[in-house]
Amino acid sequence: MKLKKYLPFIFVAALAASCQEVIDVELNDKDAAIVIEANITDQPGPYTVTVTRSVNFSDPNVFPGVSGAFVTMADDAGNMDTLIETSAGVYVSNSFQGVTGRTYTVRVVADGVTYTASSFMPTLITLDSLVLEESGGFGGSQYYIIPQWQDPVGTGNYYRCIEYVNGERVGSFLYDDAFSDGLVNGQPLLNFETQLESGDTVRVVMQCIDPDVYLYFYSMDLTANNSTAAPANPETNFDNDALGYFNACAVSERTVVIP
Amino acid sequence: MNISLLYSLRLSICVLASTPFLSPLSGQSNFTVSGTVIDKKTGETIIGAIIRIQEVKNAGTVSNEYGFYSLTVAEGDYTMQINLSGYKSITRKIALHGNLREDFSLEDTTFVYDEVVITGEREDQNVSDPQMGTQKLDMKEANKIPVLFGEKDILKTIQLLPGIKSGGDGGSGFYVRGGSGDQNLILLDEAPVYNASHLLGFFSTFNSDAIKDVTVYKGNGPAQYGGRLASVLDVKMNDGNNKRYHVGGGIGLISSKLNVEGPIVKDKSSFIVTGRRTYADMFLKLSPDSTISNNTLFFYDLNAKLNYQLNDKNRIFVSGYFGRDKIGIANAFGIEWGNATGTFRWNHILNDRLFTNTSLIFSNYDYKISITSPSADFSITSKIRDYNIKHEFQFFPNPAHSIRFGINTIYHTVTPGQIKASEGTAINPIKLQDRFGLESSVYFSDEWLATSRLRISYGARMSMFNVLGEGDYFLFDDAGDVTDTLSFASFEVAKTFFIPEPRVSFAFILDSLSSVKAAYSRNSQNLHLLSNSTSSSPTDLWIMNSMTIKPEIADQISAGYFRNFMDNKIEFSFELYYKVMQNQIDYRNGANTQGNELVEGELLFGKGRAYGAELFVKKKYGKFTGWISYTLARSERNIEGINDGRWYPVRQDRTHDISIVAMYDLGEKWSLAATWVYNTGNAVTFPSGKYYVDGNVQFLYTERNGYRMPAYHRMDIGATWQRKKTEKFESSWNFSVYNVYARENAYAIIFRESETDPNQTEAVRIALFKIIPSVTYNFRF
Repeated sequence: MKLKKYLPFIFVAALAASCQEVIDVELNDKDAAIVIEANITDQPGPYTVTVTRSVNFSDPNVFPGVSGAFVTMADDAGNMDTLIETSAGVYVSNSFQGVTGRTYTVRVVADGVTYTASSFMPTLITLDSLVLEESGGFGGSQYYIIPQWQDPVGTGNYYRCIEYVNGERVGSFLYDDAFSDGLVNGQPLLNFETQLESGDTVRVVMQCIDPDVYLYFYSMDLTANNSTAAPANPETNFDNDALGYFNACAVSERTVVIP
Repeated sequence: MNISLLYSLRLSICVLASTPFLSPLSGQSNFTVSGTVIDKKTGETIIGAIIRIQEVKNAGTVSNEYGFYSLTVAEGDYTMQINLSGYKSITRKIALHGNLREDFSLEDTTFVYDEVVITGEREDQNVSDPQMGTQKLDMKEANKIPVLFGEKDILKTIQLLPGIKSGGDGGSGFYVRGGSGDQNLILLDEAPVYNASHLLGFFSTFNSDAIKDVTVYKGNGPAQYGGRLASVLDVKMNDGNNKRYHVGGGIGLISSKLNVEGPIVKDKSSFIVTGRRTYADMFLKLSPDSTISNNTLFFYDLNAKLNYQLNDKNRIFVSGYFGRDKIGIANAFGIEWGNATGTFRWNHILNDRLFTNTSLIFSNYDYKISITSPSADFSITSKIRDYNIKHEFQFFPNPAHSIRFGINTIYHTVTPGQIKASEGTAINPIKLQDRFGLESSVYFSDEWLATSRLRISYGARMSMFNVLGEGDYFLFDDAGDVTDTLSFASFEVAKTFFIPEPRVSFAFILDSLSSVKAAYSRNSQNLHLLSNSTSSSPTDLWIMNSMTIKPEIADQISAGYFRNFMDNKIEFSFELYYKVMQNQIDYRNGANTQGNELVEGELLFGKGRAYGAELFVKKKYGKFTGWISYTLARSERNIEGINDGRWYPVRQDRTHDISIVAMYDLGEKWSLAATWVYNTGNAVTFPSGKYYVDGNVQFLYTERNGYRMPAYHRMDIGATWQRKKTEKFESSWNFSVYNVYARENAYAIIFRESETDPNQTEAVRIALFKIIPSVTYNFRF
């Protein structure tokens, strides 16, 4: 189902390959907004919460950390941890341990405002293998990775795969099981920008995520790919107009070397 | 229900036909002159010819869409006159001492210069007709106007008219008076065309060679049209020459066309078949690399029409359209889509003053996506299909009234998505529920010449929509989550909407050259297109009214001043409109509109408003012809959940829009044409900041469509070289250059991390077409 959204771009790219030009666009300034990125997994910690601020479009890509915030993580089994700031805006957990099947809540108090988000850590479904597939294309054939896992019967499972080639992150891919309930995944990591070559080491980290986190990354991708007519900020699970997300996920990973 | 409506209609006609008060001339003997107006050379019926009886004030009418006219006046000897621009007028003496049939064959005046053709008046229809917000496209003109890749295209030509805006550079999409693309009703021989574009919008499904007449109604459509808020684009296909056989065609840069027409029985029946196919994929075939040569990329169109005159009173027409696009990447995926329409029509002249037409119409749009790879082999199909019955009467009781009434019922089936997967593939075969709806209407309208100065067109359309089973319909809460599911049996009515749509327009004639007009009309819309992408996509999904989705409703008021100059050589009009819209649809952020059974939960509803001014000056006659159109407009929406509940401009909102079209005939051999368009930018959403999440810079958005694209302007030029023109053979070359001064118009502006300095972000303009020359050779024998 994901292929469809690339279709117009294949055309536009074919027609307009040489007609790109960097231009100046007058963009409004915006008061800095708070950005919280929080992750917890079923793997041993520490887990990190970063609190930063947005900047204007014309500014350099330097995003100031928010120091002195009060950050806690709690689960629905009565455990709680207060995170420690290790550098400006970076807060890490102490002895806290993520467990699948629990709902986690992150709470950040910064400049007198409290921001909270909750995320459910789904049961771990293990990434079983990475299969290499050769596929055609306008520019000739290309290798793709198909991450395989066994989806449990019953829809409502969401996955996110992050692809690294030779240690460098090259993309993230979302999956749901609306059309593949109970099956072994067969959809490749459709990465048009990265040509896999012989000798490359490909590592894939698979996260089992909850529906809200799926929606966050899904809406983020829509805007980031320029594939929506109405770009917007992703649907966050934080309240009080914070940007960012809180993702409690169960992870597994595999590595393969392209022969 | 509908059958009984039909009977009551028939009854009312009989009553109408025998009502004496409808005739102001009662007391004397009245007789009717009626007949058909045709083109002398081709035998094609002529729409919109103006028929007058000179001796009687206000005794005038216009030939209808089948060339039929009827005029009833007191007994006497009269002079009839027939006028139509592009044709020689005819004056004929008649002795009306009984009902009379008078048919007219008009001779076309193309390539007749220096001749002061018309002794009587030129058309002043635009001044005297109460109809507002209407534009008729002259196909002869449309064929001269230069377009991208030389592919003559009516949808691109109408974009040059006031109030009609283009959907994007080189595109065939259009927006009328601030409405969205799906608010245009596009009819091809009465059959709705659900996706009028080829190749993702760069070409329209209309092959100009097959088309006879194009009329656009900008929200003020007469009562016989309904079902869309913003406009009606009524496209009628050629009937075919019933005098002799012709083969015509064209060879262009992108496609080739061929048409064959001729009589089946001379003067009685004719056929026409028109085909077009692109050949971009032929170049792919030349590649030695099989991964390239096995790719496919083409579209084709086939128009066919057949008509048969059974006798003086009966005529049947059968017409059809079939078009398809195919794009395939070898061994990976393919997508194809297309429309198919079919229309069967029966014209019957019940008596001299009563004309009827019955139409059976079929329309289908579908797409199919196939994905083939070693691990996945499946296809996704979706379609919308209509069965449509229309029965209409046109009654001409006396010269002061032209009455039209009828009924129409459409049975819609929408198949939102069906997945077929081969054994062992990683996809489950799934079929989303089919959706069913019945859209019915009864309408009545009267064109009334109330006084010599006041003309009124009034009428109403009663629309009804039944949401039908079989299926489960869902109810949603404010968050879009399902609260209840209601199940309905086959043909069980789940919900009914009933909307009265009154329409009225006045023309007050100030003097023989000028008039003021005012109009009010209401339109409703029961089918809605879910389109979320930046470009028109064949996979956009049509969805019907349901428990959640209510009919869209628009109320439009308009006023205008119309004046002709220089003996009707120059037409001028100025129109103002204001439109309010209810039940407008938008999406929640991150909405998944594809393959989603609960898609209605992703929708948000609100209201809209659009207003503007349109200025149009056209020189219709002479060696130098053309027009200037200017539009000042605004279109906004207010939807709870979007833009913090504040009004925001819609994407197609543009403040200023100017088109200039100039055509010049140099003589018998050469004619030149040029167009220039300018518009201020569309509303667009740009970021107002950035932040860092998930290892990447993300952009921060503050308001919906709060920015504007840069201004767009472009000039196209064209020349037509008539090589040879005889009865036996004619040929011409058409040369054109699109975007002649190479303006880099922004198709899109994207924002990204800078390629030169990773510590910065940048805006990048994507421009599509710069100086695209093209040449087309056309022939006909």
